[in-house]
Amino acid sequence: MAGRDYLGEFEHIVVLALLRLEERAYGVTVRQEIELRTHREVSIGAVYATLDRLETKGYVKSYRGDPTPERGGRSKRFFRVTAKGVTAVNRTQRALQSMSEGLGLIENYS
Amino acid sequence: MTSPSFSLQPPRLAVWLVNLFTVPDNAEAIMGDLLEEFSQIAHQAGVVFAQRWYWRQALKTIVHLIGTAYRAAPWWTSAGVAGGMLAHRLLWRLVEPTIFAVLVRYQIPEHHFNVYVFFASTGIDIGFLIVFLFEGCIAAIVAKEREMAAATTLSLIYAALCGTAVVSWVVQGHFALSRLTWDFADTFAILIGGAIVRTQRSARHLSGNENLPNT
Repeated sequence: MAGRDYLGEFEHIVVLALLRLEERAYGVTVRQEIELRTHREVSIGAVYATLDRLETKGYVKSYRGDPTPERGGRSKRFFRVTAKGVTAVNRTQRALQSMSEGLGLIENYS
Repeated sequence: MTSPSFSLQPPRLAVWLVNLFTVPDNAEAIMGDLLEEFSQIAHQAGVVFAQRWYWRQALKTIVHLIGTAYRAAPWWTSAGVAGGMLAHRLLWRLVEPTIFAVLVRYQIPEHHFNVYVFFASTGIDIGFLIVFLFEGCIAAIVAKEREMAAATTLSLIYAALCGTAVVSWVVQGHFALSRLTWDFADTFAILIGGAIVRTQRSARHLSGNENLPNT
């Protein structure tokens, strides 16, 4: 449905990580945040592939930070969620909640 | 004096490979992120663990970058693969006639029979190797910034064909290790061709950035 897109599973996780990290969201922190909370090993390539896709869709924006010596003089690429991204994550969240409502997933299937 | 954390270096080959597969716009961020996390892990868990971690990240990242190439630029990447195949189709038929034409032109069979035997056997294999190298270059040139994605796809296609041929030889009892070595060297040559183009472009990209006026 055009203009009513839902986020994919990993896209959803990445956008939530960006919202959690706020101003500190760049490749390393996003990857670590996802690993810490989901306990799944994620590659930096997967994170950037998803962030690039989200940027193309207009859900996130990126900007370059200053180069730092611990990165071999390379700059960080920071990301932030756009208003359109917040709408998409809310829509996806509501759809998931509505689908799981009444199923008692944690009680019945854990 | 440099701090010890900055003197720790991740595996050079892994760094080179990730650099080859990363589009220039993302290269700085991805390479920087990997180096930063490598240094953190090396201090917490040791260099050996950090190197293993780097290799794991590098290989997974490369797989994702190839996938991303097909999602972000499907037409250019596929055109690269098609261009490479077309180049192969046009050139491989010329190898044998060209080598024999040169040998006959300089009367090699009459005067230097050993040289003739070398060029009529190993020389042809080397000729095919050069065709595959050229094929990788063409695929990379056509695929624009996704050079290695196109070259890798092409290489995997030929590796699969070689694998099928090996099974067929084994079934028919004609297995020849030397033939197999040449065939797999051919598929590797495609990757080398892609890497050459990519390295040249990266160098041009870097020198272009250095020449930009400071704002």
